Amino acid sequence: MPLEESEVAIMDAPGKRTAVPLLRIAGLSKSFGGVRALSNVNLEVNPGEVHGLIGSNGAGKSTLIKILSGDIARDSGEIFLEGLPLYVSNPQEAYKLGFSFIHQELNLIPKFSILKNLTLGLRKKTRFGLIDWKSVQGEVLQVVAKVGLTQSLDTPVEELSVADQWLVTIAHALMRKIKIISMDEPTASLSAEESERLFKVIHDLTSEGIAVLYVSHRLDEVLALCDGISVFKDGKCVLTTTRKEATKNILVEAIVGGQVSDTSRQTPPNVQSQAVVMQLTDLCKGRKVNKVSLTLHKGQVLGLGGLVGSGRTELANLIFGVERPDSGSMTLEGKPYTPKSTNDAISNGVGLVPEERRTQGLILKGSVDFNMNLTNLSQLRIHPASPFLSKRKFALVSNAIVNKLRIKTPSIHTPVVNLSGGNQQKVVIGKWLSRDLKVLIMDEPSRGVDVGARAEIHAKIRELADAGASIIVISSDNEELPHICDTVLVLSEGRITGELTGGEITKEAILHKSYEHASL
Amino acid sequence: MAVVVNGKIRKHTALLAVSKFGTIIGMLIMYLAFSIAVPHIFPTWKNMVNIANQATLAAIISGGLTMALIVGEMDLSIANVASFSGVLVTGLMVQSKMPMGIAIPIVIAISAGIGIINGLIITKLKVNSVVATLGTGSIVIGLNYAYAQGVPIASGLPESFKQLSLGKFIGIPNNIIFMTVVLFALWVFINYTEWGIQIRATGGNPSAARLSGIRVDRIKIMALAIASVCASITGILLASLIGSGTSGAADGYLMPAFAAVFLGSATLKDGDFHIVGTLIGVFFIGIGFNGLAIFGVPTFVQYFFRGGVLILAVGLSSVARIMATK
Repeated sequence: MPLEESEVAIMDAPGKRTAVPLLRIAGLSKSFGGVRALSNVNLEVNPGEVHGLIGSNGAGKSTLIKILSGDIARDSGEIFLEGLPLYVSNPQEAYKLGFSFIHQELNLIPKFSILKNLTLGLRKKTRFGLIDWKSVQGEVLQVVAKVGLTQSLDTPVEELSVADQWLVTIAHALMRKIKIISMDEPTASLSAEESERLFKVIHDLTSEGIAVLYVSHRLDEVLALCDGISVFKDGKCVLTTTRKEATKNILVEAIVGGQVSDTSRQTPPNVQSQAVVMQLTDLCKGRKVNKVSLTLHKGQVLGLGGLVGSGRTELANLIFGVERPDSGSMTLEGKPYTPKSTNDAISNGVGLVPEERRTQGLILKGSVDFNMNLTNLSQLRIHPASPFLSKRKFALVSNAIVNKLRIKTPSIHTPVVNLSGGNQQKVVIGKWLSRDLKVLIMDEPSRGVDVGARAEIHAKIRELADAGASIIVISSDNEELPHICDTVLVLSEGRITGELTGGEITKEAILHKSYEHASL
Repeated sequence: MAVVVNGKIRKHTALLAVSKFGTIIGMLIMYLAFSIAVPHIFPTWKNMVNIANQATLAAIISGGLTMALIVGEMDLSIANVASFSGVLVTGLMVQSKMPMGIAIPIVIAISAGIGIINGLIITKLKVNSVVATLGTGSIVIGLNYAYAQGVPIASGLPESFKQLSLGKFIGIPNNIIFMTVVLFALWVFINYTEWGIQIRATGGNPSAARLSGIRVDRIKIMALAIASVCASITGILLASLIGSGTSGAADGYLMPAFAAVFLGSATLKDGDFHIVGTLIGVFFIGIGFNGLAIFGVPTFVQYFFRGGVLILAVGLSSVARIMATK
C-alpha cells in the first residue's frame, strides 16, 4: 500500500485565526501534596487546530488533560471554552460540553461488537421499549465511514488491530457533537502505515472545525501534524510555537532544557566473529511465527523490525518460555534450549523486558524495591540455606540499580505507579540488571518514554552489549533500530524477510522489508 | 517544592489519616463508648482476655484467608473445611482410637490437600475461584456428613484434646498463643520469604509476575493450601473448645473472616490485604460483638453491626482515599 505522507503535512487547518479561541487556558496551576504538577500554564487552541502537547514524562501534559476532563480539580487559573468560563467536576460533564478524551489504554469492551461499543452510553432509539438496532445501525454507519473503518459492525473489537481500535474510539467520540478531542500517544503501538491512516482521519476532523490536543513523544509526527505546539517541562509550558517556526532541535532542547548528548554508535564492533550465544532453527508457532532461524552472537544488539503483528512478540515469547514452539529448535551456548517456563528461561540466563510495562512489566502498587528484586529473590536470602530474605540486601540491590539507571524516584520504597513512564520503564529494565544474563530481549524498550530517558535507555543497551550480553531489541519505531543495532532482521507475517547489517540499517530499508510479503 | 496553602495540606493529611487509620480510630471509639456505657464489666482485664480468647479462632482462619485474597483468589470453602476438620479430628480420636498427636497432623494434611485441589481447579481448569470453592465447599460438607452422618462426636474425647484450647501456658490461654504463633508465622512468611513475596507479586499482577519468572500457578495453589490449613487449625481448636465434633460448628466463621480481612485491607494500607490489618479487623469485630453482647442487645442487632460496620469502614476509607488524591 502506498504511503500518503504529503497530504497531512502540507494542508493547513481552516478557520485558524478566529477571534475567540475555542479553548483558552490562563494561569492554570495544580500541586499534589506540595509537588507542583502544573505551574501558571497558558494555552490557546483554535477551532480546527491540531495542538501538540509534548514534553518529558511527568512534565505536566497528563495533569493538564486530567484537569480538562474533570478527573482532578485545579488549584488556580481559568479555562474558557469558546470564551465562556469552564468548570467541570467529572468526565461526564466534560463530555456533555463537547470534550472527548482518548487515553493510551483504550476504553473499549473487547467482547462487544463495534456497533455496541460505539453506542455505549448513548441514548438509543427504541421500539416498544426495546433498542431498535436497525435504526441505530444507520447512524453508526455514517460515523464509521467517516473514520474509514471497513469491518462489519458485528465484529467484536477484540478481533481488530490496535489501529482499528483507535478508529473505533475516535468514532465513538464522533457519535456526539464534539469540539475538542484529546489523544494520548495515538501512534505508540501503530505501524507507520497505520499512523498515516490515523493522520488522515485527524485531518478530516479538523476540517470540520474540531480541535485536537495531540500528546506525543514522536517529534517528527508532531512537526508534520500539529499547527500549534506547546512544550512542557517541570509543570511549566516552556515553549509555545507553531509548526512553521519549530524544528526538531528547538523542540528537543526545550524538552530537555539544554543540549542532548548523541548516543548513536561510533564504531560497530565486529560481532559476527564473536561466539554464537543463541541459535534458532526453523522455529514455528501457529500462524504467527513461521520458520524463523537466527543466530545471536556474544555482545550483539540484534534488532527485530517489522509491523505490529508481524510475529516479533510471539517469537520473543518462544525464546522466553512463555509459549512452546510447534516445531523447530533452539540452542543456547551450543546446548539444546527448550524453556518450559519463564522461570526455566531465566535460570538459563534469558530475560525479557515486555512490551507493556504497566500490564506486563510491573506490579504497579508495589514499590521500586519490590519490583526490581522479583527476578532475583533467591539471591537475597539472609544466608543461602535460610528461607528468609534480607531487606538490607533488597535495598542494596535496588539502590545500586536506581543509581546506575538514574531512576528518578523519591525513594526505593515509592510505589512504581507514582513514577513517570520513563522511570517506570527503567525499573522494568532494572529488574534484569541484578543477575548475569546471556540474552536479554527488549520488546519496545522506549515506547512512551521521553527523549532524555530514551537516550539513557539506548546507552544502557549498548553498555550491556559491550559488557558481553546479547540483546534482542524489538521496536516499531524505525528510527530506534538504526540507532542501536548491529544487525536488524525484519519480520513480515511471521517470516524473516530481510537481514540488514551495519550501514544498510536505515529507516527506509526496514520499512521496505516490512511490507515485503513472505508468501511471494 | 512549592508553597501550598496550609489549610489544604492539613485537609489532605487528615483525609489520608482517615483512610489509613479509620478502622483503628473506630475501634478506639467503640472501646471508649463501651467502657463508658458498661464500665464495671467491659474495660476489665478479664473481659479483655475474654475478647482476645474469642478472637483467636477467627484470627487464625482470617489469617489464612488473607493469603488467598492476597494472591487474588476467593476461598469460600474455608468454613466448611474448618467444620469438617473438627468432625474428622474428633472422629479419628474417638472412633479410630488414634492418639491426638497423629490425628491432628492427618487432619491438617487432608485440609492442605483440599486447598491444593482448590488451587488446581482454579489454575488448571481455569474455574473462577468463587465457583470453584463454592463447589469444593459443598463437597466438603458432603464428606463431613458421609463421615459422621451429622451426629456430634463428643463422648470419649481425651482430656488432653480439650485442654488444647482451654489450657494455659504461663498464665496465657493456649489459644492466644496459637493465634500469635500462626499470625506471626504468616506475617514473616508473606514479608520475608521468597514464596511470600511471590504470592504478593502474583496477586499484584499475575502476568508481570509470570514474566518475572514466578510460577504463578504453583504460588496460587500454595496460597489456597495455606488458607485451608489455617481453616483446619481453627476447626480443630473449635472442636477442642466446645468439646465435640459437630458437623456445622465452624460454618459461621465464613462471613466474619471476610469482614475482618476486608476491614483490615482498609487499615494502614491503601486497600491491600495484609496480616496486621486482618488482626486489627478481627479485633474490631471481636470488640463490637463482645460489647454488644454485654449490653444484651438482641441477636439481630449483632448481625446489623457486622454487616453495617464492614460496609461503613471500607466505604469511608475508600471515599477518603479518593478525596485525598483528588
